[in-house]
Amino acid sequence: MVFPNGTVALKEANLEIAQGEFISLIGPSGCGKTTLLRLLADLIQPSAGSIRIGGKTPEEARKSRAYGYVFQAPTLMEWRTVLQNVMLPLEVMGVPKAEHKPRAERMLALVGLGKFARHYPWQLSGGMQQRVSIARALAFDPQLLFMDEPFGALDEITRENLNLELLRLWRETGKTIIFVTHSIPEAVFLSTRIVVMTPRPGKIETVIPVDLPQPRNFETRETTRFFEIATLVREALRKGHGFEVSE
Amino acid sequence: MLRLSPNLVPMLVVALVVLVLYWPLMYLANIPAAQRALDTGAVLPCKTALECATQLRSPVLPSPQQLWQGFGNLMFPLNSQSAIPLNAAVTALETLVGLLLAAMLGFFFAIGMVASRAFERSLLPWIVASQTVPIIAIAPMLVVVLGQYGVQGWLPKAIIAAYIAFFPITIGVAKGLKSPDPLSLDLMKTYNASSWQTYLKLRFPASVPYLFTAFKVAMTAALIGAIVAEISTISFQGIGKMLAENSRASDVVAMWVIMLSSAALGILLVALVNWVEHLATPWRRVPQREGGGR
Repeated sequence: MVFPNGTVALKEANLEIAQGEFISLIGPSGCGKTTLLRLLADLIQPSAGSIRIGGKTPEEARKSRAYGYVFQAPTLMEWRTVLQNVMLPLEVMGVPKAEHKPRAERMLALVGLGKFARHYPWQLSGGMQQRVSIARALAFDPQLLFMDEPFGALDEITRENLNLELLRLWRETGKTIIFVTHSIPEAVFLSTRIVVMTPRPGKIETVIPVDLPQPRNFETRETTRFFEIATLVREALRKGHGFEVSE
Repeated sequence: MLRLSPNLVPMLVVALVVLVLYWPLMYLANIPAAQRALDTGAVLPCKTALECATQLRSPVLPSPQQLWQGFGNLMFPLNSQSAIPLNAAVTALETLVGLLLAAMLGFFFAIGMVASRAFERSLLPWIVASQTVPIIAIAPMLVVVLGQYGVQGWLPKAIIAAYIAFFPITIGVAKGLKSPDPLSLDLMKTYNASSWQTYLKLRFPASVPYLFTAFKVAMTAALIGAIVAEISTISFQGIGKMLAENSRASDVVAMWVIMLSSAALGILLVALVNWVEHLATPWRRVPQREGGGR
């Protein structure tokens, strides 16, 4: 991926993802992990190379509404209530009107916000807002979920709770999730595989499988295996840099 | 129980201070004029300059009693052609119709500017230029032109009001339509939303707060436009017509009364916008919760 100004954002990225996987893209700022996700989502176009999502190009996948996208910010619409925000994709996609409300309510219940349907976004905390945006991404039942540092702006405690909730959602819905993060514990805790990326130019350094048993819970974070995998990720990140950093 | 808005008390304090300061200022301005009138032997119902200062026929500054009497004379009867209520209603009508016309024109230009770069680049300089022409120079000419097509009475004034009111609306709405952040636009793209859907679900609602801010600016501009149009053309009704008439008659007290009334009209019209805004934006109305939220 080369931007018009000549910046090489992403150079080597060969990766195959199976259905039902939970993949984390991890790396320091500028390693192209968000770029890779935006390429997959057809929000930008590659300058070379090819991407196939279930046999479709990203554009075809986007047009067939194959994926939901959760952004760094909740991007909720302040003039809509929580329920109406979750209904937004259904309205845009022309889902029969009678289904809007029950489906949105089901999604809110799934993220544990059933009681907040009538609230406006500003009445919710940052973590709750991000849960609404996850419910919104799931509302039209896409098979794929792209998540771009969705919990990056949240405090550690909220983040760990939401990690656990996301894993539950993933188990219950069987979605394929591609998750961008720069937190090593978050990546290890959530993923079935971790894609370690390094910058200048952005490339995939290595892919680390995570064999921690499912279902994972708070104790998972304290197991020896958890730390071993975290160390592997940390070493891979360091290697890509070519010098010692403490990121 | 009547709940006073927290802004009301400081506002009233300022009004009181102004009134208290006005009194000595009024005497200071009027005593020399009163002395001159006494010296020339004019027939006055008073003997000293101090006494006469509040009773001059054309005072430099009218006394509060004179203003009060002036209001009494000019307010009634309510449906009189020479009283303020009917004329203020005509000016208000011109202003509101002008604002409506301005809103339509403003939306058209704003959507064009957001949808097409070429449109913006070719038209924006002319839109800006249109506002540099003094309204007082355009008004009589516009009235003559419109008169050729049988458009007479209050409508030409509304059109002149629209001429200066469409500018803040154009700029405000264009800014509002451009206000959604890139992520929200990306979000609509991931839904494969059509450009019309993006307007309907994202750009229009996002522009609403900007729209009302623009309306408040445009409302006062339209009122100025309507009054200037009434003054600078042949008018049979309106605040501007009353101002012009009393200016020719050198009725200082009446002019003050009309000026204060038009100020009240302006406040009333802006309050109307505030009220509509309150109704149109329920999401900003929910009482703020203490703590939490973002």
